[in-house]
Amino acid sequence: MKRKGIRCLKLTLCCAAAALAVQGCGASSDDGKIEIEIVQYKPEAANYFKVVEEEFNATHDNIHLTISSPNDAMTILKTRFIREDYPDIIGIGGDINYSYFVDAEILSDVSGYEGMQYINQGYLDIAEALELVPTDGTYIIPYVANAAGVLYNRDMFEEHGWQIPTTWDELQALCGEIQAEGILPLYFGFKDTWTCLAPWNAMAVELSPSDTTKQVNRGQTNFTTEYRELSEKYLQLLQYGPEGPFAYSYNDACTAFARGESAMYMIGSYATPQILSVNPDLNIDSFVMPASDSADDRTLNSGIDLGFCVMADCENKEAAYEVLNFLYADENLQKYINDQNAVPCKTGDFELSPMLDGMLAFIESGNMTDYQDHYYPSEMSVDALLQTYLIEQDTDKFLSNFDANWQRYNRDIIRMVQDYEAANGGS
Amino acid sequence: MKIFSSKNDRQRTFLLITIPILALFVCFNTIPLIRGVIYSFTNFRGFGKYDWVGFRNYIDLFSDARVGKSYLFTIKLAVVSTIVVNIISLILALGLNSKIRAKGFFRGAYFLPNILGSLVVGYIFNYFFTYILPALADMAGLKGMSTSILSSPSKAWIGIMIVCAWQAIAMNTIIYISGLQTVPEDVYEAGGLDGATGWKQFKLLTFPLIIPFFSINMVLSVKNFLMVFDQIMALTKGGPAQSTESISYLIYNNGMSGGQFGFQSANAVVFFIVIVAISVAQMKFSGSKEEQL
Amino acid sequence: MKNTTSAVKANKTVMVLLILGLSTIIFPLYMTIIIAFKQPSEMTNSISGLLSLPKTWSLNNFREAMEVTDFWRSLRNSLLISVSTVVLSIMVHSLMGYTLGRNKKSKFYNFVYLFIVSGMFVPFAILMMPLAKQTAELGLANWFGVVLLYVVFYMPMNVMLYSGYLVNIPLALEEAARVDGASTWRTYWKIIFPIMKPMHATVAVITALAVWNDVMTPLVIMAGSSQNTLPLAQLNFQSQFGTNYNLAFASYLLSLIPILVFYLICQKQILNGVVNGAVK
Repeated sequence: MKRKGIRCLKLTLCCAAAALAVQGCGASSDDGKIEIEIVQYKPEAANYFKVVEEEFNATHDNIHLTISSPNDAMTILKTRFIREDYPDIIGIGGDINYSYFVDAEILSDVSGYEGMQYINQGYLDIAEALELVPTDGTYIIPYVANAAGVLYNRDMFEEHGWQIPTTWDELQALCGEIQAEGILPLYFGFKDTWTCLAPWNAMAVELSPSDTTKQVNRGQTNFTTEYRELSEKYLQLLQYGPEGPFAYSYNDACTAFARGESAMYMIGSYATPQILSVNPDLNIDSFVMPASDSADDRTLNSGIDLGFCVMADCENKEAAYEVLNFLYADENLQKYINDQNAVPCKTGDFELSPMLDGMLAFIESGNMTDYQDHYYPSEMSVDALLQTYLIEQDTDKFLSNFDANWQRYNRDIIRMVQDYEAANGGS
Repeated sequence: MKIFSSKNDRQRTFLLITIPILALFVCFNTIPLIRGVIYSFTNFRGFGKYDWVGFRNYIDLFSDARVGKSYLFTIKLAVVSTIVVNIISLILALGLNSKIRAKGFFRGAYFLPNILGSLVVGYIFNYFFTYILPALADMAGLKGMSTSILSSPSKAWIGIMIVCAWQAIAMNTIIYISGLQTVPEDVYEAGGLDGATGWKQFKLLTFPLIIPFFSINMVLSVKNFLMVFDQIMALTKGGPAQSTESISYLIYNNGMSGGQFGFQSANAVVFFIVIVAISVAQMKFSGSKEEQL
Repeated sequence: MKNTTSAVKANKTVMVLLILGLSTIIFPLYMTIIIAFKQPSEMTNSISGLLSLPKTWSLNNFREAMEVTDFWRSLRNSLLISVSTVVLSIMVHSLMGYTLGRNKKSKFYNFVYLFIVSGMFVPFAILMMPLAKQTAELGLANWFGVVLLYVVFYMPMNVMLYSGYLVNIPLALEEAARVDGASTWRTYWKIIFPIMKPMHATVAVITALAVWNDVMTPLVIMAGSSQNTLPLAQLNFQSQFGTNYNLAFASYLLSLIPILVFYLICQKQILNGVVNGAVK
């Protein structure tokens, strides 16, 4: 009886060992092909990249491509970096992580890539601006952008004859009008702190300079000055949203908007797939957030949603560029755009989703400004600071807190910037 | 003579068992910990180059209001949850161990909360706190419950405590049940003859015999709740207004996802020392109790 | 006579309380099941809408969830890791627990005990980066490395449990065998190991459960190995900008079954301890 138990254990161990051996065999495949591995950080686009991977491998004999789209890709990438196990190409967003990666010198300069000439200059400028201190070369090839503003229920607007607002006053008037008809103008899902950043970013592009954070790092200004109007206006929006917005999650807000519980929803274009999954028939359009008194000051809040970087460690840059050529081919990019309602970063004739109709003029004229939060270090948790502010509604406290926290979390960056300024005679 | 050699043999066997296992433990626990401690003296982001910053991280730690707040929140949560969980799971274990019908079914059912993944638990409890509880409070005519308790900075911790307890009770119950198995039946028979029943029987007979399990459960609960992470991620992600940021949440979120690896390593080192101190005190305390009995 | 009626009464009270407590479990379970059967378009924020039964009881969500997670392969990996961890844990940790539990008077072993138990309190986040590096250097960035790490991670708790259990096992049992000339090693496997069966079952349940649901360790250690465990594969359902709860819940229900079955088997063993205890 007891023997049997021990024998069982031994048997299991043997099985485990055998499985290990079997797995070891499957890993090696020597067919002389160049291996290119991409890790990209948007799991929602996994299906698209699966298809691209298959098509590429079917049409190329010399290169074998693997694309993985893991969830929590940033954790995976960082743990792989620490064990110096670099993929060849990474697909990431244009945010502070990109800034850190450039600073860590783990990306390779891709300014020599021939496809670069087709990339929209506006997005290359945005990428340039993300470097902590000006660095020679280009390190990311922007693929697609997203745009944030206000999503609205097109049918509801037509039915009531509401007009798209172009100034802050018009927006408030519109909200008042909607409220008067007994409909909720806006929905907020502030339980998920990151959603607090969406209206903030959309208004910030118009109300404060695009390089606010850099000016602060150079010691030229502070947030108390630059963000006051923005903060005060943000508070005013709350009256048009649901009661107790901090109880609702992003998902609740998407569902509520999809079910026609509110006329508008201040969020980025990235939310549309989730909204449509609840109500596929919803007729959504968007407009640029008006935040000041002048319609001409409006600018579209748009940033690099996905771009590709070749790692410094990549052994075969030519092969990497060939893969990139395939990814940036018009028909593939178009497929991505259809799939994700994205905005291409490449110039050319692309057909955009009707949900971006209201933003089209801005996209075509290149009137775009990057998200302010792409410059905020994630550990500072500006989203949580904003949530605190919206609950406490104390503008002075929030702004002084913002300034104090900024200095604490960016100490090393500020020192680096100031060293750079000193070395380069300032500007 | 024979006994002497067998005693030596016994000691040698113990040593031969201890050394390889201890080596494995040192290799995958102690050495990485030491490496982590080394990082706590740098401004390492988790990748790329880094500089030595001496004790800056430790000095910062004691002046960081956010870290201080996370300690207060975590300790409050841990103390309350430990008490709630241990009371309920001890009662539950006694109930599940008594002579009842469908014992297997009940034991299976009460185990379920532990296996539901945190996405499911997070979704259901979010829904419960956001929509169902306010509606129930409405019907009962209770004021002040009209919005989710998770959206109130002063009450959100209660929501987290409820979910933590709900999930943890199963595990503690299992440990209590397996402790109750070591209580021989004849003890009860003897006790039954003396007229000890109910509370008296528990206090005088059962509880003293399962004290080792009680102290294991106390240590495990305190430790688990001090290191609470999953429930925070599933329910509030540190909100509202940063009122539910646990220490582990800060260490993971700012150290791994953010770029504060060095600083949060320092936080982790201090945290480690704090938990060890608390647990040693706990074990000393329950150890002395055990000896008394 | 009086005793038995009061016992019956007590049992009835216990029953009622247990059934009441059960409602806190049935309700979430009910929600999980109906959400797993619904379509995304059936999701609303209204209470009646969410608590209502799905329009059709189709297994499509389950089928799709199995496809998305590459169910059978992920299941195989999860099983491989969990079973190996549990088997190794029971053998290694019980030995260690026995050694430490029987040498409580020795300063050295007491130190080892405290040293190992204190390992329980090391926050995983601080170990994560160094471990990712170390396992890669040792060529252990695979499932076997994950198993080894688990054996180390759960050692403190399990050693604590085993040596606690050992207190109730009389030394006389071993001494009898020793007089017969059996070595300590043999005595352990022939007498002590089988006696600790209820504890083995407890340790197996606790360890298996922790391993079965763990995301972090395989995520960090096996990153880039294209091998998924079930929880890793389930991450595919959620992203910041959209979560398919219906598929996710279906998938969670599927992955709940093996561990529930395992628990039900083990808890019979925990029960068997009663018999052993009575014999002793």
